[in-house]
Amino acid sequence: MSSRRSSFRKRQKPPFERFKDRCRQFTAFMFSNVGIILLVIFYTIGGAFIFQAIELFEYERLRTHKTVKRNFGDECLQEIWEITAQNISFYDNKYYKAKVNEILLKFQRGIAHQNLLDPEVDKQWSFSGAFLYSLTVITTIGYGNISPKSDWGKLVTILYAIIGMPLFLLYLSNIGDVLAKSFKWIYSKVCLCRICPGVARRRIIRERRKLRRLALSKALHDMESRRSSSSTSGSRSSNSSSSSYYSEETETSTQSMSALEIFEEENDSDIEREIRMNTDEITVPLMVCVIIMIRLDCVEWISTNKIKIKFCFKCIHSRSYILAGAILFSRWEEWDYLDGSYFCFISLSSIGFGDLVPGERVITADKDKVEVSFILCAVYLLLGMALIAMCFNLMQEQVIHNVRAIKRAFKSCFRCRR
Amino acid sequence: MSKSVRSSRHNSRAGSSNSSSPSTPPRKRVKRCCRNFVTFMCTQLGVGALIVLYAIFGALSFMHIEREYIDETTDYVIKLRHNCAEKMWNITEKFNTFDRSEWQNNTIDILLEYQAEIATLIKNGYVGRTPEQIWSFPAALMFCLSVITMIGYGNMVPRTPWGKGFTVIYATFGIPLYILYFLNMGKVLARSFKFLYRSLHECAHERTIYDSHLEALENGSLSILQRKKIIVPSTACLWVIISYILTGTIMFANWEKWSFLNSFYFCMTSLCKIGFGDFVPGASLVTAADIEAASLKIKEDASADPEEIFNMQLITDQNSKLAINFFYMLVGMGLVSMCYNLMREAVRMKIKEIKEDTKLCLEDTRARFMGCCGTREYYDEDYY
Repeated sequence: MSSRRSSFRKRQKPPFERFKDRCRQFTAFMFSNVGIILLVIFYTIGGAFIFQAIELFEYERLRTHKTVKRNFGDECLQEIWEITAQNISFYDNKYYKAKVNEILLKFQRGIAHQNLLDPEVDKQWSFSGAFLYSLTVITTIGYGNISPKSDWGKLVTILYAIIGMPLFLLYLSNIGDVLAKSFKWIYSKVCLCRICPGVARRRIIRERRKLRRLALSKALHDMESRRSSSSTSGSRSSNSSSSSYYSEETETSTQSMSALEIFEEENDSDIEREIRMNTDEITVPLMVCVIIMIRLDCVEWISTNKIKIKFCFKCIHSRSYILAGAILFSRWEEWDYLDGSYFCFISLSSIGFGDLVPGERVITADKDKVEVSFILCAVYLLLGMALIAMCFNLMQEQVIHNVRAIKRAFKSCFRCRR
Repeated sequence: MSKSVRSSRHNSRAGSSNSSSPSTPPRKRVKRCCRNFVTFMCTQLGVGALIVLYAIFGALSFMHIEREYIDETTDYVIKLRHNCAEKMWNITEKFNTFDRSEWQNNTIDILLEYQAEIATLIKNGYVGRTPEQIWSFPAALMFCLSVITMIGYGNMVPRTPWGKGFTVIYATFGIPLYILYFLNMGKVLARSFKFLYRSLHECAHERTIYDSHLEALENGSLSILQRKKIIVPSTACLWVIISYILTGTIMFANWEKWSFLNSFYFCMTSLCKIGFGDFVPGASLVTAADIEAASLKIKEDASADPEEIFNMQLITDQNSKLAINFFYMLVGMGLVSMCYNLMREAVRMKIKEIKEDTKLCLEDTRARFMGCCGTREYYDEDYY
């Protein structure tokens, strides 16, 4: 009754106030959800600029301070030349080869060290690379393909993570909540055919009919049992008990009749209210959540496939201008389905090994040029995390529901035993 | 489930009425103690043990899977090197040493080609160690921990398709387990820390409390005073975390010969679950070749000067330290969760206070405003 009264009251509100309410809701929504998305994005962009500035500054300082990098190629060449000059008279094939092999091993170690210790900093810390770096920090993925080399960079990373991670968690919980709500709404409308009111109404009417039938049968059963018991007990003194028995029967019949009347009271507003209540109580089954998670994988490998084609062109282009002897960028290892889904899982569960990295193609691209693939990647990460949060939200509901049911079952079991 | 619920109820009742009912028979008390102990073992220690067992199981199976991986790159590198030497020999034969510039031009071409190939291989994950060397037991344990805690250092990754698939499955079951551990451990540690803090607090303010008790006894309201809630301030949690991180910093700085900033950075990124993997204890990429060289050197010449050998051994038996690192990480995660628990409480209290303050403030201003308006209205009414 109270809800109806309140709705009645709502209907009487003047249009101006209703508009005001709408506006207030809208602004709240903007501030809470859109605001937090924007905050995360701006925080990441700011972090990207800061890290880029710090790392590039450090790089420049190091380059001017230190001597030029050791040129392993020239050293190796010099050594080989010396050996050749010494051994040319012997013409000892085996000895010469062993010596050259040793020198080559040393050369290889040198390359490995150079590759692992200081890769090309200014190419790594392009804007897109730095953006991806700050994204991996606040999402705690941490691929590790780009990591700060300077002391200040490390300190700023720590501070950045301390502030950024709670912000991202807030984003996750907020967006996950909103997504879960909307997904639940869609699920209830589409999958359970709540969208057309006729179906729902028919379903509820059917359920009620079933209930009524149950109640009727129960009442009948009671009546019969009573009649039989009374007949057995009343066999000795049937005359005395007959009156009471009749009264009992009439009572039960009136009860059942009242129950029927209650069921027949249904009207449209009642049904509508029930529909609304049902939509609140719906829990999305676990399977649907799991399927969504798997779908995410599929989306990822489709996108990687698309990018792959783009990348091949870029690769060919880049090969022409990279000087031989500098660190070569690897060919983009074409990911198969397993690798794609593996990468996606590792990223979205925020493990982030970094053996397969989406940023690779971003970094190899030209400096100061925002790529489509890079934007795609960032959006994929942000959205994917939110979707995972949504799935967790839904699954939590379902699990709590199940646990409660199990508890109830246990309790009833214990009661029976006692 | 119901058993644990009942026992926990017992527990709470015992906690609340421990002092008031010392006359329970000893047998019952022992029984209750036993039950509490069993539930504690099952819930808290059980989860911890489950995590450790799960990690060990994962480590063994990953070792089994990953050692099957046939490392073609090592053979390929050796072949490449031999090829390179062969080509150089050919060049030497062809041009001889008389024409140096020609010889150099040809040789440098070969060298650059070789360098490019090696760089590609390194980019694709060539480390220069066989799978048996990489997947030692402590390292595999560390890998499993990095998967289920979502740190993901990435210094060692599964290379076989079976390994990748198993990683995904392992993570799906491991991460919820870890979260359970995280929440559970946080609760337990928070409770014990609170207890510790409370006892310390009472020790420090014993006299005042005693006095207040006396007063309260006189007034007859002892129970109210005892029920006073003590909330651990967030600074205390921060101090705990900072001290833990600092001990870790010093430990790693000593063991790994890192600078203090680097080891602090490592501790922070690990406990924040970021895990870049540029610094990894024991099996870092940078020292991978060094470890190999060191072990080779120890084998080859035992007659080197003792200090150097000692240093070499320090590098080589770093694997055993990984186990300690494992427990450092696990306990650290528990501490972080504890701080999260405690700080949430403190923050909630603060937010409530702020809310009340703002409400009071708003009401005050409204009252003032209303007073102003009211007087004006009053005046207006008076005027009209």
